[in-house]
Amino acid sequence: MNDLTYCLLVTGANGGLGTAIARYFLSKDEHCYVYLGVRANRDQAEALVEEFEGRCAVVTLDVTDQQGWKNALKSIIADGRNVNVLVNNAGYHNDQLMAMMPRDAWDGVIDSNLNSVFLGSQAVMRGMMQQRFGRIINIASLSAIMAPIGQTNYAAAKAGVMALTQSLAKEVARMGITVNAICPGYVQTSALDDMDPEQAKAIKKTIPMRRFGKAEDVACAVFFLANEEASYITGASLKVDGGIF
Amino acid sequence: MSGIIELLPKVKEVLVAELMLDVTVDEIGDETPLMGPDSLGLDSVDALQLIVAIEKHFGLKISDAEAAKGILQSPKTIGEAINAGGDSTKSS
Repeated sequence: MNDLTYCLLVTGANGGLGTAIARYFLSKDEHCYVYLGVRANRDQAEALVEEFEGRCAVVTLDVTDQQGWKNALKSIIADGRNVNVLVNNAGYHNDQLMAMMPRDAWDGVIDSNLNSVFLGSQAVMRGMMQQRFGRIINIASLSAIMAPIGQTNYAAAKAGVMALTQSLAKEVARMGITVNAICPGYVQTSALDDMDPEQAKAIKKTIPMRRFGKAEDVACAVFFLANEEASYITGASLKVDGGIF
Repeated sequence: MSGIIELLPKVKEVLVAELMLDVTVDEIGDETPLMGPDSLGLDSVDALQLIVAIEKHFGLKISDAEAAKGILQSPKTIGEAINAGGDSTKSS
């Protein structure tokens, strides 16, 4: 990284991908400060705070709650810091065929994956505009492009994230803020742990690299897009999928 | 309104610097429209930038879109709003 001091807020920072992103930044840039946005479970995030003492902190954040975002940002400002890199990583999937999908399975996935990106981006935007620098990096998914069976809710949410990314990128381009998305393919996190080994083997055959991605594969893409030198890349959706699509 | 004469050059400076306008401060009249025909040619994104710049340089927070429409007419209307403080930034 360059002379700029990076202050990151990573949402969903108690999960495999969120902690990997935070860890990557903390390892690669000794000057950065990382806020780990978590809602309920915070054990992994707290372990990271212990490991990187004085360089990161846990912030309570329900990404679907507008007031929650305001409170989180207020507490960061009270620390004397301004978020200049937001990684919208939080979200979950709840796969079912649409014919049987209850309304709350639709709403919950749209809320946590798409509405959260709206709320988070809006919450940090004014501060970034005043600094005339900002990086918003949205973790979308290959599902947005592939739209697999059973993921009407998730695919729609992530496709929405990609479209939001492109549109917002244009709105804030003049202000030194870039907005990009990353579309991970199959990444080896707890989400894949439950997969049947035979199914995993079959899926790996469809991946040109013949392996699942590591969380670090995604983290390094986030790190790249956050860099001050990546200033002319905006509105992009970067696939990190081992060549699937 | 007292103070507005002193305020207007600063408002114009902010306009030129923050929006990277291709005109000088002297070329902008007090009542030069910011948008529309025979204006400085600002668009909605410029307006958003200006709202942030006004808060940063003059401490005036404009959080209401209707109020913004009224304030962001010309350097003079911006100066008047700054002079009036927060009272004029909320639409009824």
